[in-house]
Amino acid sequence: MRKKNSLFSKFYIAICFAFFYLPILVTMVFSFNSSKSLSKFTGFSLRWYKALLENSEIMSAVYVSVTIAILATIASTVLGTMTAIGLSKSRKIIKDMVLSMNDIPILNPDIVTAIGWMLLFSSLGFQKGYMTMLLAHIAFCTPYVITSVYPKVRSLDPNLANAAMDLGATPYQALTKVIIPMIRPGIFAGALLAFTMSFDDFVISYFVSGNGVKNISIVVYNMTKRINPTINALSTIVIVVIVVILLLANLLPRLGGGDNKKNNQNMKKLVAGVAVFALVLSLVTCVANKSNNKEARVLKVYNAGEYIDPDLLTEFQDEYNCTVIYETFESNEMMYTKLQAGDAYDILIPSDYMIERLIREDYLQPIDWDCLTNAEGLNPDVMNKEYDPGNVYSVPYFWGNVGILYDKTVVDPADLSEGWNLLMDTKYAGNLYMYDSERDSFMIALKALGYSMNTHDKNEIQAAYEWLIQQRDTMKPVYAGDDVIDNMISGNKALAVVYSGDGAYIMSENEDLGFLMPEEGTNLWYDAMVMTRNCENTELAYEFMDFMLRDDVAYRNTQYVGYSSPVVAAYEQAQEEDYEGIEAYVPRVGYEKDEIFRYQDTDIKKLFAELWTKVKAQ
Amino acid sequence: MKHFRKLTGPYFAWLVLFVLIPLVLIAIYAFTTSGNPVKTLNFTLMNFAKINEPTYIKVFIKSIEMGVLTTGVCLILGYPMAYLIAKCPEEMQDMLIMAVTIPTWINMLLRTYAWMNLLSDNGIINGLLSVLGINPVTMMYTNFSVVVGMVCNFMPFMIIPIHTSLRKMDNSLIEAAMDLGANPFQTFQKVVLKLSMPGVINGIVMVFLMAISSFVIPKLLGGGQFVLIGNLIESQFVSVGDWNFGSAISLILAVLILVAMRLMKKMDVQDN
Repeated sequence: MRKKNSLFSKFYIAICFAFFYLPILVTMVFSFNSSKSLSKFTGFSLRWYKALLENSEIMSAVYVSVTIAILATIASTVLGTMTAIGLSKSRKIIKDMVLSMNDIPILNPDIVTAIGWMLLFSSLGFQKGYMTMLLAHIAFCTPYVITSVYPKVRSLDPNLANAAMDLGATPYQALTKVIIPMIRPGIFAGALLAFTMSFDDFVISYFVSGNGVKNISIVVYNMTKRINPTINALSTIVIVVIVVILLLANLLPRLGGGDNKKNNQNMKKLVAGVAVFALVLSLVTCVANKSNNKEARVLKVYNAGEYIDPDLLTEFQDEYNCTVIYETFESNEMMYTKLQAGDAYDILIPSDYMIERLIREDYLQPIDWDCLTNAEGLNPDVMNKEYDPGNVYSVPYFWGNVGILYDKTVVDPADLSEGWNLLMDTKYAGNLYMYDSERDSFMIALKALGYSMNTHDKNEIQAAYEWLIQQRDTMKPVYAGDDVIDNMISGNKALAVVYSGDGAYIMSENEDLGFLMPEEGTNLWYDAMVMTRNCENTELAYEFMDFMLRDDVAYRNTQYVGYSSPVVAAYEQAQEEDYEGIEAYVPRVGYEKDEIFRYQDTDIKKLFAELWTKVKAQ
Repeated sequence: MKHFRKLTGPYFAWLVLFVLIPLVLIAIYAFTTSGNPVKTLNFTLMNFAKINEPTYIKVFIKSIEMGVLTTGVCLILGYPMAYLIAKCPEEMQDMLIMAVTIPTWINMLLRTYAWMNLLSDNGIINGLLSVLGINPVTMMYTNFSVVVGMVCNFMPFMIIPIHTSLRKMDNSLIEAAMDLGANPFQTFQKVVLKLSMPGVINGIVMVFLMAISSFVIPKLLGGGQFVLIGNLIESQFVSVGDWNFGSAISLILAVLILVAMRLMKKMDVQDN
């Protein structure tokens, strides 16, 4: 009976651990995969580790995570220990007040705390970046240090410090020679907690950071959209580092056994080790900063995620001896919100309707086309559109339309004539991805109903809303983001609404797919580079735009991203060499039912935003 | 022994700046309309009236449902685990508890990302199923995937406090109960469960707190249609740009949680 029991309990414990460690194990195994797939292991390789080292975005995120964790740990441990000692001697009212305020960041949901700090920094007029992130990290680590140090202080005999001072020690000596050594385990536990909390944080950093300063979590969050085993390589390293730190922290005191002296020495060694590490890192920072100072030319670019070949950025920086601070956004709306909140950039790469809005609201400065020597290579088809007549403010970057990607092995060719209503065909219920964007979804519904996608007629909008609700109820679509790309490459579902450029990239990886541009008309869109009003180094800004228009650069960019280039030479070369026979790479031009998104009034915009939230949250 | 009192001073100022003022700011934004940043204070209750709409009420209800579900699963799976660990020899217990703790020190995003690969339609689990001749199962973008992600991330926070209170328990109490004629079930119910209640309550509070406010796990594993309170707040600040409405939701969430904590604490006190 007993034996049976213990067998069962062993089994149960094993199952639970398998559940905890499965994702970690999977991550580690696939970091060594030779192919890009994250579900089929094709062979051992270290290529993703190489890619990791070459990825400057990730490397700088590692640097930010490590330095912030070390600095925040030191600061919060000092502040927390000081406070804990002070509290034990304070009057009850003060003690209770401080302790209950100290509890608030621990008890409050992360997201509320994060938003509070974001509002605080923006009210104080702080530029979001490294400093704000560091302050926030100190602020959320300190409460944890206090909760782990304070009980130790309280359990001390209050007469100890008195005795030391009676024997002639100064208060400072009493503190460092008597109190601190006795509460050392608590301080150590607090510091360890602070370090890992800071190192792993996402929510707080996500809201309080900005200006290109990203930690590992933020980079991972941005990268989850497109599967990239480089993350697995990074995870593996992070996991190994954390496990080693934890093992050291748990084993070192034990190695000393009961021998206090040895224990002390080990502790000192560890502390010294960390201090040396921090010192080396800060030295590296200084050197890095100095070399940055030499090239005072800095350009801040704000572009959509996964929308440039990162090698081109490196090349541009080398060639023009400058630094590009490159940040990415998920949607035009997110970019606009950031601008509104006062974040400053030199070059933005938004879409047509957003450019129209930025022009109206006076965010941009006009382009001097004489400064762009490569402008002649631009395709006249993509110039002089309604959103910016005469291209006074904008230099085309990519263009395309929106269509339905379908699996030829599943979808009946006869059904294609249904156009957008293919997305309402219950034959494919549960087998489709919509795009998680209010404008694109409403565009589809409006076009399917035969209306203009720029309508201001509330009845038409209501009808489109009902179309989407009906679609949601009968078709059970998944409202996906860029993860559609990997899902369609793996052929997970039969239908997906995608931008033509993503479609071209997906089709180049999966031959079974076709791209439908519905007859009811679709959204024809243009993304373009614009220069903000507060861009100071306009010379560098023109150099950047001109660089992106160079034939070879534009070709490599379109080859990497998959979107159609506005540069004729690049467009033609990509059609011949990379996207031959892939209809999604060649958007339909001159079809009268196709439209461009136009500027929306705040009222209409709000209406769409609210209806879309309702569609998703039904 | 007043020497060290002044050591509390700096942190007191720090708390005012980093705890009190941000809360006041959230409240100010929640009760005004002027958009961001607040320049003129136009008092309003509009933001709260908006939450009263059925759509947003549904978001709250769904978040609470997911929170309760996750907490329930964590409790049902975590209690036996804590109990079994507490039955092991001392040395073993330390090891096992460390093994439970290690995953929590590893970035939540990285682990969630791994679940995406495990659960997706063409993922590892479905790959294994197809080897066994079983048709693929859709797991991603469902309640299931979100609960799996949350349970995997949050269960250690249930196991550890329960284990702590079980470990502290005096074994002679159990023997006494048995000696007095209680059967194993009665012993468990009347003695073990009762004595581990503080740990259970602690665990429930922690897991529920994290589950109800999470926005990353629902977003990555649930897809765009999975809107919980956290996602609603994020979208107000990041894409919609309505900081006032976002602040109002945050305020309600904070109040909801602080009240829940108070209630739990009270229950805890009464129980003892």
